[in-house]
Amino acid sequence: MAHARFPVEVVTPEGEAFAEEVEMVSTRTAVGTIGILARHEPLLGLLEPTELRLYRSEEEIVRFAQAEGYIQFQDNRALLLVEEAIAPEALDRDELQSRLTEARSALERAPEGSEQQARARREIRRCEAFLAIEP
Amino acid sequence: MPQSQRDVRNRIASVRNIQKITRAMEMVAAARLRRAEQRITALRPYANAIARMTRKAAQASGAGTATLPLLAERDPCERVAVLLVTGDRGLAGAFNSQVLRAGLRTAEEHRSLGRSVSFYASGRRGVSSLAFRGTEPEGAYVGFSDRPSFSDARRIAQDLIVAYSDRAVDLVEIVYNRYVSPLVQEVRREVLLPVAAAAVLDQAPGGLREEEHQQDGRPTPVDYEPDPAVILARLVPDYVEVSVFRSLLESTASEHGARMTAMRNASENAGELIGDLTLQMNRARQAEITQEILEVVAGAEGL
Repeated sequence: MAHARFPVEVVTPEGEAFAEEVEMVSTRTAVGTIGILARHEPLLGLLEPTELRLYRSEEEIVRFAQAEGYIQFQDNRALLLVEEAIAPEALDRDELQSRLTEARSALERAPEGSEQQARARREIRRCEAFLAIEP
Repeated sequence: MPQSQRDVRNRIASVRNIQKITRAMEMVAAARLRRAEQRITALRPYANAIARMTRKAAQASGAGTATLPLLAERDPCERVAVLLVTGDRGLAGAFNSQVLRAGLRTAEEHRSLGRSVSFYASGRRGVSSLAFRGTEPEGAYVGFSDRPSFSDARRIAQDLIVAYSDRAVDLVEIVYNRYVSPLVQEVRREVLLPVAAAAVLDQAPGGLREEEHQQDGRPTPVDYEPDPAVILARLVPDYVEVSVFRSLLESTASEHGARMTAMRNASENAGELIGDLTLQMNRARQAEITQEILEVVAGAEGL
């Protein structure tokens, strides 16, 4: 059965990555994976790096590698603010791998409880999430 | 003694070559300027939405902003970091030197108050000029001034946030060229950290407030995932990242604008020089002809 559609905007600092009506948005917040359908209750959430799926229909899915960001759902519209939204086939896996190695060694060097440590952990999460996405 | 025709002709040819190069550079800069302007526009929806969400989360969290480390002013303020935003290349008029000058003046000011100053520089020009003066920058970011990406801005912002949060510095200032128009760039000096609470929480970019009033006629209960205070704690650093990104984009647009203007002036000067030299060449030719006629006449008389 087809679901009702609602407008979704995915906005990055480089501009708009996606603006169409979809049936469902699937992503991950700091609390856990969520799927959003039309007429969801108003929501403001933190997004974690993951694979963002936008369901134009049951079969037609637009996918993005989504970095950290925010999701706002209000008045039956979804707004996703993310630092990056990259098409899965455009991911540079070698670069991600080297960044991951770099972040891991930065984590070892960072003093316990420092901001540096927190940043390194976030970078590791991002690289791991992106590497897990199928091209 | 006037130069010979051949000498002048050679000079004209070389000036003409230079003019071709400066014309080409002017056109390249104009094309890149257009793209840079578009990117400033593209950032606006994201930046506005971040500002809007920050206000919302701050209202919802209810807690004062005092709990946010990036908003807390340090007293005493002993160590200052200055971020200079320059370009990777020269040939752009006063573009790089005016940032450098303003940055050094800023540093001087802080030093006179008994604070120590460390530099961060983006753009090869800034990095090498600082190194030349014997002040190696704490952080050097090069290779992207033509087209900075958000991840470049994030790298810079994160280093500064880390330095601030881990108390290596107490104040971070940024000096960059703000883009006004292709002809006008304005050197700006702004405080990046601590973030001014007013800037984050009260700023209402034109028109947005009305839109919100319509929607917020009746306050809708919003589900926060996770707690609004946690969301706010992440939004503030993002605000800093966006600020750095905007400065990089403005600086890039300014750089292309300044280069375009500098190259246009260079092309015009070359045109003038070609005019002068052509006149000189015609004079030299005329002098040669006159000389020959005189010789012929003198020769005929001698017969």
